Amino acid sequence: MLALSNPLVNRFSVAQKWATEFSQSRRRRATEFLLGAVLLLLPFASSDSFFIDRFGRYFIWAIFAISVDLMWGYGGMLTFGHAAFFGSGGYLVAIFTTRAGWFLPIPLWLALLLTLCVVAAFAYLLAELVFRGRMPLRGIEFAVITLALAYLLEQYARAGGEITGGQNGILFEDKLEIFNLDLHRGRGFYALAGISLLIIYLVSRSFVNSRSGLVTRGIRGSEDRIELLGYNVPKLKVGLFVMVSVIAGFAGSLFYLHDGIVSPSAVGVTASTQVLLWVALGGRGTLIGPIVGTITLQHLTATLSGTLLDTWLLIIGVLLIAVVMIFPSGIMGYLGKGSAK
Amino acid sequence: MTALLEARGVTKSFAGFTAVADVSFRLQVGEITGLVGSNGAGKTTLLNCLYGKTPIDRGSIFLNDVDVTAMQASWRVRLGLGMVFQLTSVFNELSVLENLRLGALAKYKRARPSSDHEIGAMLKTIGLELQQYDIAANLSHGEQQWLEIGMVLLAKPQILLLDEPTSGMTKAEAAKTADLCKQLLASGAVKSIVVVEHNIDFIRRVSEKVLVMHRGSIISSGTIDEIQKDQLVRDSFLGRIK
Repeated sequence: MLALSNPLVNRFSVAQKWATEFSQSRRRRATEFLLGAVLLLLPFASSDSFFIDRFGRYFIWAIFAISVDLMWGYGGMLTFGHAAFFGSGGYLVAIFTTRAGWFLPIPLWLALLLTLCVVAAFAYLLAELVFRGRMPLRGIEFAVITLALAYLLEQYARAGGEITGGQNGILFEDKLEIFNLDLHRGRGFYALAGISLLIIYLVSRSFVNSRSGLVTRGIRGSEDRIELLGYNVPKLKVGLFVMVSVIAGFAGSLFYLHDGIVSPSAVGVTASTQVLLWVALGGRGTLIGPIVGTITLQHLTATLSGTLLDTWLLIIGVLLIAVVMIFPSGIMGYLGKGSAK
Repeated sequence: MTALLEARGVTKSFAGFTAVADVSFRLQVGEITGLVGSNGAGKTTLLNCLYGKTPIDRGSIFLNDVDVTAMQASWRVRLGLGMVFQLTSVFNELSVLENLRLGALAKYKRARPSSDHEIGAMLKTIGLELQQYDIAANLSHGEQQWLEIGMVLLAKPQILLLDEPTSGMTKAEAAKTADLCKQLLASGAVKSIVVVEHNIDFIRRVSEKVLVMHRGSIISSGTIDEIQKDQLVRDSFLGRIK
Protein backbone atom coordinates (compact mmCIF):
# COMPACT_ATOMS: atom_id res chain seq x y z
CA MET A 1 0.00 0.00 0.00
CA LEU A 2 1.02 3.60 -0.21
CA ALA A 3 3.96 3.65 2.16
CA LEU A 4 4.25 6.27 4.84
CA SER A 5 7.48 7.51 6.36
CA ASN A 6 8.88 7.28 9.90
CA PRO A 7 6.05 7.47 12.47
CA LEU A 8 8.14 9.72 14.72
CA VAL A 9 8.63 12.22 11.89
CA ASN A 10 4.92 11.95 11.11
CA ARG A 11 3.97 12.87 14.65
CA PHE A 12 6.39 15.80 14.70
CA SER A 13 5.08 17.14 11.40
CA VAL A 14 1.45 16.84 12.42
CA ALA A 15 2.28 18.58 15.72
CA GLN A 16 3.86 21.44 13.75
CA LYS A 17 0.68 21.81 11.68
CA TRP A 18 -1.38 21.85 14.87
CA ALA A 19 0.86 24.61 16.18
CA THR A 20 0.33 26.67 13.01
CA GLU A 21 -3.44 26.20 13.22
CA PHE A 22 -3.33 27.18 16.89
CA SER A 23 -1.33 30.33 16.21
CA GLN A 24 -3.71 31.34 13.39
CA SER A 25 -6.66 30.83 15.68
CA ARG A 26 -4.92 32.88 18.40
CA ARG A 27 -4.20 35.68 15.91
CA ARG A 28 -7.89 35.79 14.95
CA ARG A 29 -8.97 35.89 18.57
CA ALA A 30 -6.44 38.64 19.29
CA THR A 31 -7.83 40.73 16.42
CA GLU A 32 -11.38 40.14 17.64
CA PHE A 33 -10.42 41.07 21.20
CA LEU A 34 -8.57 44.23 20.15
CA LEU A 35 -11.38 45.40 17.89
CA GLY A 36 -13.99 44.56 20.52
CA ALA A 37 -12.08 46.39 23.28
CA VAL A 38 -11.59 49.55 21.21
CA LEU A 39 -15.24 49.64 20.18
CA LEU A 40 -16.41 48.93 23.74
CA LEU A 41 -14.32 51.76 25.20
CA LEU A 42 -15.12 54.25 22.45
CA PRO A 43 -18.34 55.65 23.99
CA PHE A 44 -16.45 56.31 27.24
CA ALA A 45 -13.51 57.93 25.46
CA SER A 46 -15.60 60.54 23.68
CA SER A 47 -18.39 62.81 24.85
CA ASP A 48 -19.21 63.81 21.28
CA SER A 49 -22.64 62.28 20.72
CA PHE A 50 -22.47 62.81 16.96
CA PHE A 51 -19.14 60.94 16.82
CA ILE A 52 -20.56 58.01 18.80
CA ASP A 53 -23.69 57.98 16.68
CA ARG A 54 -21.59 57.84 13.53
CA PHE A 55 -19.89 54.67 14.75
CA GLY A 56 -23.30 53.13 15.29
CA ARG A 57 -23.96 53.71 11.60
CA TYR A 58 -20.66 52.00 10.73
CA PHE A 59 -21.76 48.96 12.75
CA ILE A 60 -24.98 48.64 10.76
CA TRP A 61 -23.06 48.96 7.51
CA ALA A 62 -20.68 46.30 8.83
CA ILE A 63 -23.64 43.92 9.26
CA PHE A 64 -24.51 44.60 5.62
CA ALA A 65 -20.87 43.91 4.67
CA ILE A 66 -20.89 40.61 6.60
CA SER A 67 -23.92 39.47 4.61
CA VAL A 68 -22.05 40.23 1.37
CA ASP A 69 -18.96 38.44 2.69
CA LEU A 70 -20.97 35.29 3.38
CA MET A 71 -22.28 35.33 -0.18
CA TRP A 72 -19.15 36.46 -2.00
CA GLY A 73 -16.26 35.64 0.28
CA TYR A 74 -17.49 32.23 1.44
CA GLY A 75 -20.01 31.17 -1.22
CA GLY A 76 -18.00 32.58 -4.14
CA MET A 77 -21.09 34.31 -5.57
CA LEU A 78 -20.33 37.92 -6.41
CA THR A 79 -23.40 40.08 -6.01
CA PHE A 80 -23.59 43.55 -7.53
CA GLY A 81 -27.04 44.24 -6.20
CA HIS A 82 -27.16 43.36 -2.54
CA ALA A 83 -28.40 46.82 -1.59
CA ALA A 84 -31.68 45.69 -3.14
CA PHE A 85 -32.24 43.79 0.11
CA PHE A 86 -30.58 46.35 2.41
CA GLY A 87 -32.70 49.16 0.99
CA SER A 88 -35.83 47.02 0.79
CA GLY A 89 -35.55 46.51 4.55
CA GLY A 90 -35.78 50.28 4.99
CA TYR A 91 -38.56 50.75 2.44
CA LEU A 92 -40.72 47.93 3.79
CA VAL A 93 -40.56 49.15 7.40
CA ALA A 94 -41.36 52.66 6.16
CA ILE A 95 -44.33 51.45 4.10
CA PHE A 96 -45.68 49.23 6.89
CA THR A 97 -45.49 52.00 9.51
CA THR A 98 -46.46 55.11 7.54
CA ARG A 99 -48.89 54.08 4.80
CA ALA A 100 -52.61 53.85 5.52
CA GLY A 101 -55.09 51.33 4.13
CA TRP A 102 -55.92 47.62 4.35
CA PHE A 103 -54.05 46.46 7.47
CA LEU A 104 -51.60 49.41 7.55
CA PRO A 105 -50.10 51.10 9.43
CA ILE A 106 -48.86 48.53 11.92
CA PRO A 107 -46.68 48.89 15.07
CA LEU A 108 -42.93 49.13 14.52
CA TRP A 109 -42.01 45.79 16.10
CA LEU A 110 -44.55 44.00 13.88
CA ALA A 111 -43.35 45.94 10.84
CA LEU A 112 -39.77 44.83 11.52
CA LEU A 113 -40.86 41.21 11.78
CA LEU A 114 -43.02 41.38 8.68
CA THR A 115 -40.20 43.09 6.78
CA LEU A 116 -37.84 40.20 7.45
CA CYS A 117 -40.52 37.72 6.31
CA VAL A 118 -41.18 39.65 3.09
CA VAL A 119 -37.45 40.00 2.35
CA ALA A 120 -37.01 36.25 2.96
CA ALA A 121 -39.94 35.38 0.69
CA PHE A 122 -38.73 37.71 -2.06
CA ALA A 123 -35.16 36.35 -1.82
CA TYR A 124 -36.49 32.80 -1.88
CA LEU A 125 -38.56 33.36 -5.03
CA LEU A 126 -35.69 35.08 -6.77
CA ALA A 127 -33.19 32.39 -5.73
CA GLU A 128 -35.51 29.62 -6.91
CA LEU A 129 -35.71 31.33 -10.29
CA VAL A 130 -31.99 32.04 -10.52
CA PHE A 131 -30.51 28.85 -9.04
CA ARG A 132 -33.17 26.25 -9.77
CA GLY A 133 -34.71 27.57 -12.99
CA ARG A 134 -34.46 25.93 -16.36
CA MET A 135 -31.09 27.61 -16.89
CA PRO A 136 -29.43 27.94 -13.45
CA LEU A 137 -27.17 30.98 -13.31
CA ARG A 138 -23.73 31.18 -11.81
CA GLY A 139 -20.60 33.36 -11.96
CA ILE A 140 -20.87 36.54 -13.96
CA GLU A 141 -24.43 35.76 -15.10
CA PHE A 142 -25.54 35.75 -11.46
CA ALA A 143 -23.66 39.01 -10.82
CA VAL A 144 -25.39 40.66 -13.80
CA ILE A 145 -28.82 39.53 -12.61
CA THR A 146 -28.21 41.04 -9.16
CA LEU A 147 -27.01 44.26 -10.81
CA ALA A 148 -30.19 44.37 -12.89
CA LEU A 149 -32.27 43.78 -9.76
CA ALA A 150 -30.72 46.74 -7.94
CA TYR A 151 -31.16 48.95 -11.01
CA LEU A 152 -34.77 47.84 -11.43
CA LEU A 153 -35.67 48.43 -7.78
CA GLU A 154 -34.03 51.85 -7.79
CA GLN A 155 -36.03 52.83 -10.87
CA TYR A 156 -39.21 51.49 -9.29
CA ALA A 157 -38.52 53.39 -6.07
CA ARG A 158 -38.15 56.59 -8.09
CA ALA A 159 -41.33 55.99 -10.03
CA GLY A 160 -43.33 54.32 -7.27
CA GLY A 161 -45.54 57.31 -6.51
CA GLU A 162 -47.36 57.23 -3.20
CA ILE A 163 -46.11 53.78 -2.26
CA THR A 164 -42.37 54.56 -2.35
CA GLY A 165 -42.57 58.33 -2.19
CA GLY A 166 -40.86 58.78 -5.56
CA GLN A 167 -37.61 60.78 -5.65
CA ASN A 168 -38.15 62.07 -2.11
CA GLY A 169 -38.50 58.65 -0.53
CA ILE A 170 -40.38 58.10 2.73
CA LEU A 171 -39.96 59.87 6.05
CA PHE A 172 -40.23 57.61 9.11
CA GLU A 173 -42.58 58.51 11.93
CA ASP A 174 -41.28 55.92 14.43
CA LYS A 175 -38.11 56.02 16.46
CA LEU A 176 -35.97 53.20 17.81
CA GLU A 177 -36.88 52.81 21.47
CA ILE A 178 -37.76 50.04 23.90
CA PHE A 179 -39.72 50.79 27.14
CA ASN A 180 -38.99 54.51 26.75
CA LEU A 181 -35.27 53.72 26.44
CA ASP A 182 -33.90 55.88 23.62
CA LEU A 183 -32.01 53.72 21.13
CA HIS A 184 -32.38 56.18 18.32
CA ARG A 185 -29.40 58.50 18.85
CA GLY A 186 -25.99 58.65 20.52
CA ARG A 187 -24.99 55.95 23.00
CA GLY A 188 -28.35 54.19 22.85
CA PHE A 189 -28.08 53.70 19.13
CA TYR A 190 -24.41 52.77 19.47
CA ALA A 191 -25.35 50.00 21.92
CA LEU A 192 -28.20 48.73 19.74
CA ALA A 193 -26.02 48.66 16.62
CA GLY A 194 -23.06 47.17 18.49
CA ILE A 195 -25.09 44.35 20.01
CA SER A 196 -26.74 43.64 16.64
CA LEU A 197 -23.32 43.48 14.98
CA LEU A 198 -21.96 41.20 17.70
CA ILE A 199 -24.89 38.80 17.37
CA ILE A 200 -24.73 38.72 13.56
CA TYR A 201 -20.96 38.21 13.69
CA LEU A 202 -21.20 35.32 16.14
CA VAL A 203 -24.04 33.67 14.24
CA SER A 204 -22.13 34.06 10.97
CA ARG A 205 -18.96 32.65 12.49
CA SER A 206 -20.84 29.71 13.85
CA PHE A 207 -22.37 29.14 10.38
CA VAL A 208 -18.97 29.34 8.67
CA ASN A 209 -17.53 26.78 11.10
CA SER A 210 -20.51 24.46 10.72
CA ARG A 211 -20.98 21.66 8.20
CA SER A 212 -23.12 23.95 6.05
CA GLY A 213 -20.33 26.52 6.15
CA LEU A 214 -17.81 23.96 4.96
CA VAL A 215 -20.07 22.99 2.05
CA THR A 216 -20.57 26.70 1.26
CA ARG A 217 -16.80 27.12 1.04
CA GLY A 218 -16.75 24.02 -1.12
CA ILE A 219 -19.20 25.65 -3.52
CA ARG A 220 -16.81 28.59 -3.79
CA GLY A 221 -13.99 26.17 -4.67
CA SER A 222 -15.75 23.94 -7.19
CA GLU A 223 -19.48 23.84 -7.63
CA ASP A 224 -19.25 20.88 -10.00
CA ARG A 225 -17.26 18.78 -7.55
CA ILE A 226 -19.67 19.59 -4.72
CA GLU A 227 -22.53 18.39 -6.92
CA LEU A 228 -20.58 15.25 -7.80
CA LEU A 229 -20.19 14.45 -4.12
CA GLY A 230 -23.98 14.18 -4.03
CA TYR A 231 -24.91 17.59 -2.58
CA ASN A 232 -28.00 19.39 -3.76
CA VAL A 233 -26.17 22.57 -4.78
CA PRO A 234 -29.20 24.64 -5.90
CA LYS A 235 -30.94 23.98 -2.57
CA LEU A 236 -27.82 25.04 -0.64
CA LYS A 237 -27.45 28.19 -2.71
CA VAL A 238 -31.10 29.11 -2.24
CA GLY A 239 -30.69 28.71 1.54
CA LEU A 240 -27.55 30.86 1.61
CA PHE A 241 -29.14 33.56 -0.54
CA VAL A 242 -32.19 33.78 1.69
CA MET A 243 -30.02 33.94 4.82
CA VAL A 244 -27.76 36.75 3.57
CA SER A 245 -30.73 38.68 2.18
CA VAL A 246 -32.51 38.58 5.54
CA ILE A 247 -29.32 39.80 7.29
CA ALA A 248 -29.05 42.67 4.78
CA GLY A 249 -32.75 43.46 5.16
CA PHE A 250 -32.40 43.54 8.95
CA ALA A 251 -29.42 45.91 8.71
CA GLY A 252 -31.24 48.12 6.20
CA SER A 253 -34.36 48.44 8.33
CA LEU A 254 -32.32 49.56 11.37
CA PHE A 255 -30.16 51.89 9.31
CA TYR A 256 -32.96 53.81 7.62
CA LEU A 257 -35.07 53.90 10.77
CA HIS A 258 -32.14 55.63 12.44
CA ASP A 259 -31.66 57.98 9.47
CA GLY A 260 -35.37 58.83 9.52
CA ILE A 261 -35.68 58.67 5.76
CA VAL A 262 -35.28 56.09 3.01
CA SER A 263 -34.82 57.17 -0.60
CA PRO A 264 -34.26 55.43 -3.98
CA SER A 265 -30.46 55.32 -3.72
CA ALA A 266 -30.89 52.92 -0.76
CA VAL A 267 -31.75 50.03 -3.06
CA GLY A 268 -29.47 51.09 -5.91
CA VAL A 269 -26.28 50.15 -7.66
CA THR A 270 -24.04 52.69 -5.86
CA ALA A 271 -24.83 51.28 -2.42
CA SER A 272 -24.38 47.77 -3.82
CA THR A 273 -20.89 48.44 -5.15
CA GLN A 274 -19.80 50.45 -2.13
CA VAL A 275 -20.25 47.45 0.13
CA LEU A 276 -18.04 45.39 -2.19
CA LEU A 277 -15.24 47.90 -1.57
CA TRP A 278 -15.59 47.55 2.21
CA VAL A 279 -15.42 43.75 1.93
CA ALA A 280 -12.51 43.76 -0.53
CA LEU A 281 -10.56 46.24 1.59
CA GLY A 282 -11.08 44.34 4.85
CA GLY A 283 -10.53 40.93 3.29
CA ARG A 284 -13.26 38.76 1.87
CA GLY A 285 -13.85 35.35 3.34
CA THR A 286 -12.65 36.50 6.76
CA LEU A 287 -15.85 37.84 8.46
CA ILE A 288 -13.85 40.20 10.69
CA GLY A 289 -12.34 41.82 7.58
CA PRO A 290 -15.61 43.38 6.35
CA ILE A 291 -16.06 45.00 9.79
CA VAL A 292 -12.53 46.41 9.69
CA GLY A 293 -12.93 47.47 6.04
CA THR A 294 -16.25 49.21 6.64
CA ILE A 295 -15.16 51.13 9.72
CA THR A 296 -11.79 52.10 8.21
CA LEU A 297 -13.12 53.30 4.88
CA GLN A 298 -16.22 55.04 6.20
CA HIS A 299 -14.36 56.76 9.02
CA LEU A 300 -11.62 57.86 6.65
CA THR A 301 -14.24 59.18 4.25
CA ALA A 302 -16.05 61.07 7.02
CA THR A 303 -12.83 62.55 8.39
CA LEU A 304 -11.25 63.52 5.08
CA SER A 305 -14.43 64.90 3.55
CA GLY A 306 -14.65 67.36 6.44
CA THR A 307 -11.08 68.61 6.11
CA LEU A 308 -9.97 68.21 2.50
CA LEU A 309 -13.04 69.50 0.74
CA ASP A 310 -11.70 69.35 -2.84
CA THR A 311 -9.37 66.39 -2.82
CA TRP A 312 -10.78 63.83 -0.36
CA LEU A 313 -12.40 61.64 -3.02
CA LEU A 314 -9.17 61.53 -5.00
CA ILE A 315 -7.19 60.58 -1.89
CA ILE A 316 -9.65 57.84 -0.94
CA GLY A 317 -9.54 56.48 -4.51
CA VAL A 318 -5.74 56.38 -4.65
CA LEU A 319 -5.58 54.82 -1.17
CA LEU A 320 -8.07 52.14 -2.16
CA ILE A 321 -6.19 51.23 -5.33
CA ALA A 322 -2.89 51.13 -3.41
CA VAL A 323 -4.26 48.95 -0.62
CA VAL A 324 -5.95 46.52 -3.01
CA MET A 325 -2.77 46.28 -5.11
CA ILE A 326 -0.49 45.76 -2.11
CA PHE A 327 -2.89 43.50 -0.19
CA PRO A 328 -5.01 41.68 -2.80
CA SER A 329 -6.53 39.53 -0.06
CA GLY A 330 -7.47 42.60 1.99
CA ILE A 331 -6.22 43.92 5.32
CA MET A 332 -7.23 40.88 7.37
CA GLY A 333 -6.19 38.45 4.67
CA TYR A 334 -2.73 40.00 4.83
CA LEU A 335 -2.53 40.38 8.59
CA GLY A 336 -2.45 36.70 9.22
CA LYS A 337 -5.33 34.73 7.93
CA GLY A 338 -7.70 36.35 10.33
CA SER A 339 -10.54 34.37 8.95
CA ALA A 340 -13.25 33.00 11.12
CA LYS A 341 -12.24 29.67 9.72
CA MET B 1 -27.09 -11.61 -13.10
CA THR B 2 -27.94 -7.99 -12.30
CA ALA B 3 -25.39 -5.53 -13.64
CA LEU B 4 -24.13 -2.76 -11.36
CA LEU B 5 -24.09 -0.37 -14.28
CA GLU B 6 -25.56 -0.95 -17.69
CA ALA B 7 -25.49 1.20 -20.80
CA ARG B 8 -28.00 0.35 -23.52
CA GLY B 9 -27.51 1.90 -26.95
CA VAL B 10 -26.08 5.14 -25.56
CA THR B 11 -25.71 7.72 -28.34
CA LYS B 12 -24.52 11.32 -28.13
CA SER B 13 -23.93 13.78 -30.97
CA PHE B 14 -22.59 17.33 -30.98
CA ALA B 15 -23.69 19.47 -33.95
CA GLY B 16 -23.88 16.49 -36.30
CA PHE B 17 -20.72 14.80 -34.99
CA THR B 18 -21.47 11.51 -33.26
CA ALA B 19 -19.15 11.32 -30.25
CA VAL B 20 -20.74 8.16 -28.77
CA ALA B 21 -22.56 5.79 -31.12
CA ASP B 22 -24.92 3.11 -29.86
CA VAL B 23 -22.68 1.96 -27.01
CA SER B 24 -23.87 -0.92 -24.83
CA PHE B 25 -22.03 -2.69 -22.01
CA ARG B 26 -22.61 -4.16 -18.55
CA LEU B 27 -20.46 -3.69 -15.50
CA GLN B 28 -20.38 -6.54 -12.98
CA VAL B 29 -19.33 -6.67 -9.33
CA GLY B 30 -15.60 -7.12 -8.72
CA GLU B 31 -14.40 -5.80 -12.08
CA ILE B 32 -11.93 -3.11 -12.98
CA THR B 33 -12.86 -2.27 -16.55
CA GLY B 34 -10.38 -0.39 -18.72
CA LEU B 35 -11.74 1.91 -21.41
CA VAL B 36 -9.09 2.62 -24.04
CA GLY B 37 -8.91 4.19 -27.46
CA SER B 38 -7.11 6.87 -29.38
CA ASN B 39 -7.73 10.59 -28.80
CA GLY B 40 -11.25 11.58 -29.84
CA ALA B 41 -12.55 8.01 -29.61
CA GLY B 42 -15.34 9.15 -27.27
CA LYS B 43 -14.09 7.69 -23.97
CA THR B 44 -14.45 10.81 -21.86
CA THR B 45 -17.77 11.72 -23.49
CA LEU B 46 -19.04 8.25 -22.58
CA LEU B 47 -17.96 8.78 -18.96
CA ASN B 48 -19.66 12.18 -18.96
CA CYS B 49 -22.85 10.51 -20.22
CA LEU B 50 -22.61 7.84 -17.52
CA TYR B 51 -22.28 10.24 -14.59
CA GLY B 52 -24.82 12.69 -15.93
CA LYS B 53 -22.83 15.71 -17.02
CA THR B 54 -23.79 15.19 -20.67
CA PRO B 55 -27.42 14.31 -21.43
CA ILE B 56 -27.65 11.54 -24.00
CA ASP B 57 -29.62 11.69 -27.27
CA ARG B 58 -30.67 8.02 -27.37
CA GLY B 59 -30.41 4.90 -25.25
CA SER B 60 -30.60 4.42 -21.51
CA ILE B 61 -28.38 4.01 -18.45
CA PHE B 62 -29.21 1.78 -15.49
CA LEU B 63 -27.64 1.80 -12.03
CA ASN B 64 -28.55 -1.31 -10.05
CA ASP B 65 -31.53 -1.75 -12.36
CA VAL B 66 -32.72 1.80 -11.73
CA ASP B 67 -33.12 3.86 -14.90
CA VAL B 68 -31.01 6.98 -14.25
CA THR B 69 -31.03 8.29 -17.82
CA ALA B 70 -32.99 11.42 -16.93
CA MET B 71 -31.42 11.94 -13.50
CA GLN B 72 -29.04 14.78 -12.73
CA ALA B 73 -25.49 14.00 -11.64
CA SER B 74 -25.99 14.52 -7.89
CA TRP B 75 -28.78 11.92 -7.84
CA ARG B 76 -26.64 9.38 -9.68
CA VAL B 77 -23.95 9.99 -7.05
CA ARG B 78 -26.48 9.25 -4.33
CA LEU B 79 -27.32 6.01 -6.09
CA GLY B 80 -23.70 4.90 -5.95
CA LEU B 81 -21.69 6.51 -8.73
CA GLY B 82 -18.36 8.22 -7.96
CA MET B 83 -16.46 10.28 -10.51
CA VAL B 84 -12.80 11.31 -10.46
CA PHE B 85 -11.69 13.76 -13.14
CA GLN B 86 -8.54 13.84 -15.22
CA LEU B 87 -7.95 17.43 -14.12
CA THR B 88 -8.31 17.18 -10.37
CA SER B 89 -11.16 19.12 -8.83
CA VAL B 90 -10.15 19.14 -5.19
CA PHE B 91 -10.96 22.24 -3.13
CA ASN B 92 -7.70 24.12 -3.39
CA GLU B 93 -8.35 26.63 -0.61
CA LEU B 94 -9.37 23.97 1.91
CA SER B 95 -7.11 21.64 3.88
CA VAL B 96 -6.76 17.95 3.04
CA LEU B 97 -8.88 17.11 6.08
CA GLU B 98 -11.62 19.54 5.09
CA ASN B 99 -11.66 18.11 1.57
CA LEU B 100 -12.21 14.65 3.00
CA ARG B 101 -14.89 15.94 5.38
CA LEU B 102 -16.79 17.28 2.39
CA GLY B 103 -16.83 13.78 0.98
CA ALA B 104 -17.82 12.30 4.31
CA LEU B 105 -20.78 14.51 5.28
CA ALA B 106 -24.32 13.24 4.79
CA LYS B 107 -25.74 14.69 1.58
CA TYR B 108 -29.40 14.07 2.20
CA LYS B 109 -31.81 12.97 4.94
CA ARG B 110 -31.28 9.44 6.21
CA ALA B 111 -27.86 9.21 4.51
CA ARG B 112 -25.16 7.72 6.73
CA PRO B 113 -22.14 10.03 6.93
CA SER B 114 -18.62 8.61 7.11
CA SER B 115 -17.25 8.79 10.65
CA ASP B 116 -14.07 10.55 11.83
CA HIS B 117 -12.56 7.09 12.17
CA GLU B 118 -13.30 6.39 8.50
CA ILE B 119 -11.75 9.74 7.54
CA GLY B 120 -8.63 8.83 9.51
CA ALA B 121 -8.46 5.45 7.81
CA MET B 122 -8.87 7.10 4.41
CA LEU B 123 -5.99 9.48 5.16
CA LYS B 124 -3.82 6.41 5.72
CA THR B 125 -5.14 4.63 2.62
CA ILE B 126 -4.35 7.53 0.31
CA GLY B 127 -1.05 8.22 2.07
CA LEU B 128 -1.80 11.82 3.05
CA GLU B 129 -1.78 11.46 6.82
CA LEU B 130 1.21 13.80 7.06
CA GLN B 131 -0.38 16.47 4.92
CA GLN B 132 -3.81 16.47 6.56
CA TYR B 133 -3.55 20.13 7.61
CA ASP B 134 -1.95 21.26 4.34
CA ILE B 135 -3.92 23.35 1.91
CA ALA B 136 -4.85 21.13 -1.04
CA ALA B 137 -3.33 23.60 -3.51
CA ASN B 138 0.11 22.81 -2.06
CA LEU B 139 -0.08 19.08 -2.88
CA SER B 140 1.58 17.51 -5.92
CA HIS B 141 -0.63 16.48 -8.83
CA GLY B 142 -0.47 12.85 -7.80
CA GLU B 143 -1.38 13.66 -4.21
CA GLN B 144 -4.30 15.79 -5.39
CA GLN B 145 -5.50 12.87 -7.50
CA TRP B 146 -5.38 10.55 -4.46
CA LEU B 147 -7.12 13.18 -2.35
CA GLU B 148 -9.91 13.39 -4.91
CA ILE B 149 -10.23 9.60 -4.93
CA GLY B 150 -10.36 9.62 -1.11
CA MET B 151 -12.99 12.35 -1.08
CA VAL B 152 -15.15 10.49 -3.58
CA LEU B 153 -14.72 7.20 -1.70
CA LEU B 154 -15.94 8.74 1.56
CA ALA B 155 -19.22 9.45 -0.23
CA LYS B 156 -19.49 5.62 -0.36
CA PRO B 157 -19.87 4.93 -4.07
CA GLN B 158 -20.38 1.45 -5.43
CA ILE B 159 -18.82 2.26 -8.78
CA LEU B 160 -15.79 4.48 -9.27
CA LEU B 161 -15.29 6.19 -12.64
CA LEU B 162 -11.70 7.34 -13.18
CA ASP B 163 -10.86 9.58 -16.12
CA GLU B 164 -7.17 9.21 -17.00
CA PRO B 165 -6.04 9.00 -13.35
CA THR B 166 -2.33 8.68 -14.17
CA SER B 167 -2.22 11.68 -16.48
CA GLY B 168 0.61 13.94 -15.29
CA MET B 169 1.78 11.42 -12.69
CA THR B 170 5.30 10.06 -12.28
CA LYS B 171 5.84 6.33 -12.83
CA ALA B 172 6.01 5.76 -9.10
CA GLU B 173 2.77 7.69 -8.54
CA ALA B 174 1.05 5.73 -11.33
CA ALA B 175 2.18 2.47 -9.73
CA LYS B 176 0.79 3.58 -6.37
CA THR B 177 -2.47 4.52 -8.03
CA ALA B 178 -2.71 1.05 -9.58
CA ASP B 179 -2.12 -0.52 -6.16
CA LEU B 180 -4.75 1.76 -4.68
CA CYS B 181 -7.35 0.71 -7.28
CA LYS B 182 -6.72 -2.98 -6.68
CA GLN B 183 -6.82 -2.53 -2.92
CA LEU B 184 -10.11 -0.62 -3.08
CA LEU B 185 -11.74 -3.45 -4.95
CA ALA B 186 -10.19 -6.17 -2.81
CA SER B 187 -11.23 -4.47 0.44
CA GLY B 188 -14.79 -3.97 -0.80
CA ALA B 189 -14.52 -0.17 -0.57
CA VAL B 190 -16.05 -0.12 -4.05
CA LYS B 191 -17.73 -2.87 -6.03
CA SER B 192 -16.45 -1.93 -9.46
CA ILE B 193 -14.13 0.55 -11.17
CA VAL B 194 -14.10 1.96 -14.71
CA VAL B 195 -10.81 3.49 -15.82
CA VAL B 196 -10.35 5.59 -18.94
CA GLU B 197 -6.64 5.54 -19.65
CA HIS B 198 -4.00 5.99 -22.36
CA ASN B 199 -1.36 4.37 -20.20
CA ILE B 200 -1.55 0.73 -21.39
CA ASP B 201 0.92 -0.43 -18.71
CA PHE B 202 -1.46 0.90 -16.09
CA ILE B 203 -4.43 -0.82 -17.75
CA ARG B 204 -2.48 -4.07 -17.94
CA ARG B 205 -1.70 -3.76 -14.24
CA VAL B 206 -5.27 -3.14 -13.02
CA SER B 207 -7.82 -4.36 -15.57
CA GLU B 208 -8.87 -7.82 -16.49
CA LYS B 209 -11.52 -6.57 -18.85
CA VAL B 210 -10.83 -3.92 -21.46
CA LEU B 211 -13.20 -2.13 -23.82
CA VAL B 212 -11.73 -0.48 -26.91
CA MET B 213 -13.45 2.55 -28.39
CA HIS B 214 -13.00 3.96 -31.86
CA ARG B 215 -15.00 6.83 -33.34
CA GLY B 216 -17.64 6.60 -30.66
CA SER B 217 -18.21 2.82 -30.83
CA ILE B 218 -16.90 -0.12 -28.85
CA ILE B 219 -15.00 -2.16 -31.42
CA SER B 220 -13.50 -4.83 -29.17
CA SER B 221 -13.54 -6.18 -25.64
CA GLY B 222 -11.56 -8.79 -23.70
CA THR B 223 -8.36 -9.07 -21.71
CA ILE B 224 -5.49 -6.74 -22.53
CA ASP B 225 -3.66 -9.58 -24.33
CA GLU B 226 -6.74 -10.47 -26.35
CA ILE B 227 -7.38 -6.95 -27.52
CA GLN B 228 -3.73 -6.39 -28.37
CA LYS B 229 -3.95 -9.34 -30.75
CA ASP B 230 -7.17 -8.04 -32.31
CA GLN B 231 -6.42 -6.83 -35.84
CA LEU B 232 -9.31 -4.36 -35.75
CA VAL B 233 -7.86 -2.75 -32.62
CA ARG B 234 -4.41 -2.58 -34.16
CA ASP B 235 -5.80 -0.98 -37.27
CA SER B 236 -7.77 1.55 -35.24
CA PHE B 237 -4.69 2.63 -33.27
CA LEU B 238 -2.67 2.83 -36.48
CA GLY B 239 -5.41 4.85 -38.13
CA ARG B 240 -6.12 2.19 -40.75
CA ILE B 241 -9.85 2.06 -40.15
CA LYS B 242 -12.18 4.99 -40.65
